[in-house]
Amino acid sequence: MTAPSDENKQLRPGLWETINERYPGSMITKEDFIPLARLRKPLSQTRLTFVSSAGVQPKGTMPFDVVHPVGDYSFRRVPSTAKIRELEIHQIKYPTSGALKDLNVIFPIERLQELASEGVIGGLTPNLFSFIGYQMDPPTFERTLAEDIADAVVADGAEAALLCPA
Amino acid sequence: MSLQYLKSAVAENDTEKLIRYVRLHLGDGNETAGRKEIDKAWIEALKLLLDVPLTNSEFIFATLKQQSPATLAHLYFHLHFYFVQRSGAWIHDGTL
Repeated sequence: MTAPSDENKQLRPGLWETINERYPGSMITKEDFIPLARLRKPLSQTRLTFVSSAGVQPKGTMPFDVVHPVGDYSFRRVPSTAKIRELEIHQIKYPTSGALKDLNVIFPIERLQELASEGVIGGLTPNLFSFIGYQMDPPTFERTLAEDIADAVVADGAEAALLCPA
Repeated sequence: MSLQYLKSAVAENDTEKLIRYVRLHLGDGNETAGRKEIDKAWIEALKLLLDVPLTNSEFIFATLKQQSPATLAHLYFHLHFYFVQRSGAWIHDGTL
């Protein structure tokens, strides 16, 4: 396992500047520095959750609104015990052909279930979390979707979160 | 292009900025492709009406009368993608 991240460094210091260059004015900017959180106990005792922008959702739930010109600011709970056949993708902004063959390439639920059953991680939260990554209004994104997911993650008893952009 | 960028364009009545955004959105970042996608949706819709089939006019007029302009605008985007998908010429990477 890698050493805990240095509290004084972000993972990719230049990331925000790069995105601002591509999408001027569209990024959330923060004056205050938020250090990365350290694990408080070994991973094998830590309950993990997974947050993804892949647009994966249980079949039968309201499809993500992939056509809205400003974005869909909702998220879906994906039961961590779900089978892949019970899930589907609603997303048009990234190639989904590979994920439709094996969802694990974008939403590795079976790998996470294996890690939990093998004791590599302490377990999974009852739900994993998914949304679509096309959002044109960062303040709304932060105020609604990000806060809502954060609350849901805490309510599910997560001790660590794996965040994965699609 | 941020939302503020678009709102400023509305305030300044800069229609070129606005339609460019629509084309980019519908064309997955390619303005030329987006323009063709708009044409594609309209052509598909037109083709469906050439034989003057029976349609649910009551539903249409009731929807226009009863739903909010924002809901209708939202529906407009959905209809665009519906007809594009129906055309069989799908340029997008994923699925609706």
